[in-house]
Amino acid sequence: MLALDGIAKHFGGIRAVDDLALTVAKGEILGLIGPNGSGKSTTVNLICGLYPVTAGRITLDGRDITDLPTHRRLSEGIARTFQNIRLFGGLTVWQNLWVAQNAPAHRKERGYLARWLGGSKQAREETGRLLDFAGLAHRKDELAANLAFGEQRRLELARALATRPSLLLLDEPAAGMNAEEIAALDERIRELKRQGYTIVLIEHHMELVMAVSDRVCVLNFGRKIAEGTAAEVQADPAVRQAYLGTA
Amino acid sequence: MAHDLAQNTVDGLMTGSAYAMLALGFTLIFGVMRRLNLSYGPSIMIGAYLGTLVHLQFGMGAAVVALVTVLGAVAAGFYVERLCFAPMRGQAATASMVASFAIWMQLEELATLLLPRHSYPFPALIARPPFEIAGILIRADRLLTLGAAIAAMLALWLLVHRSRFGLALRATARDRATARHLGIDVDRIGLIAFLGASALGGLAGMLVIAADQQITPMFGMWATFKGLVAMMLGGLGSIPGAVIGGLLLGVVEAHGQWFFGPQLRDLLVYALLFLCLVLRAGIGAGVPSAERRI
Repeated sequence: MLALDGIAKHFGGIRAVDDLALTVAKGEILGLIGPNGSGKSTTVNLICGLYPVTAGRITLDGRDITDLPTHRRLSEGIARTFQNIRLFGGLTVWQNLWVAQNAPAHRKERGYLARWLGGSKQAREETGRLLDFAGLAHRKDELAANLAFGEQRRLELARALATRPSLLLLDEPAAGMNAEEIAALDERIRELKRQGYTIVLIEHHMELVMAVSDRVCVLNFGRKIAEGTAAEVQADPAVRQAYLGTA
Repeated sequence: MAHDLAQNTVDGLMTGSAYAMLALGFTLIFGVMRRLNLSYGPSIMIGAYLGTLVHLQFGMGAAVVALVTVLGAVAAGFYVERLCFAPMRGQAATASMVASFAIWMQLEELATLLLPRHSYPFPALIARPPFEIAGILIRADRLLTLGAAIAAMLALWLLVHRSRFGLALRATARDRATARHLGIDVDRIGLIAFLGASALGGLAGMLVIAADQQITPMFGMWATFKGLVAMMLGGLGSIPGAVIGGLLLGVVEAHGQWFFGPQLRDLLVYALLFLCLVLRAGIGAGVPSAERRI
């Protein structure tokens, strides 16, 4: 579904990502791990088009999206959450979801005017489903800034879903969560897989990554050093060296 | 005395409603893009010149002239956006401001080349004598300005707060990068806000010029000035602030003119603005600056 072909990103003399090849199959969960500064977030930003690649090609379902601006990649079906939560704090919970329904997937529907004014049944139902999924139905009129940390993470995930993506990029969704919240997140990610989403999961929390990922890819210094099932990767000496310093 | 106060206040509110519309245009651009468009007034003036041209050349009536003025202001606004704002989106806000100053000069030159005399007639929208309500004299065309301003403000408020597009506008104003990640074309939103501001300014300018029944190239500077002062009085970037700032400016001017004469009137306004800036106490000052957005 998603294919990175020899992509590179250099910031001055620093090679944040170097000659990286990566494919994600439809319906798969790919775990992307690596020590701090190994290029995980840069890779996500390149997939989103936050800045241009230095070299290489990115294709989605066979179409070249390397040169598309960020908002156009949304119409190609990519959505993401952020490592540091980026909600619109001054807007309410349901407004945060509604604003994501500006995405191109919503634009061609019937009853455009009603959707535009937020009055259409379809729009309300869709928002309602997402609120239920995030467990936020009872807080829909609360300002996003007033939500608890875990609730904000859930809202951000629901907001990404509101753009109707097929590929979800989750950038450290478990950061700052306690064990109970991580267990709930684990279940939520599995539910998304059942619904047919393709997911790239960037995460430091190894237990979560190893549990939910179909495949794991390990980066270090902007290069891929290992790829395979959770068990294969954990047994790989290069991975042990990257994480522990020496083998 | 009481009667003077009442008459001045009513006059001031009516003039102030035009200022409020001008300030709303500025606010729309500033709130969404954090950019100042000095060519705002001059592009309205170009619209009015095109209206006058149609009036002089083809003898068109007030309604057509009014329409041409508003559309002309939008076209001039489009020109300014493409030239001064679109190419400098990622750059310092001052770059666009300085560029818009250069275009201001260009637009003024264009107006004097188009129609070289100092002033030209502009058809009145309503030609009937003033009438009296409870001893207060009211001009029908000023009343029309007030009505148009109220309608425009309501429409803008509904658009910004009650539509999905308005929500996209507010999201863009708060965090462009995140808005982009949600599939919002923030550059397109910026352009639409810009054209909307030009239309609002064109409407306000047209009503003022039609009430004065004449147009000069100086109108551009006048409109930029009044809109800017009203926006600053209202505390940069808030819609209610712009409305209150505009009305306040109108009322202070009306009283100043009556009690102290035209020169001290402007001095009074600047003193008020100075106080606002020194005390950082615009009407919008109660709102923390990070939240002072559309």
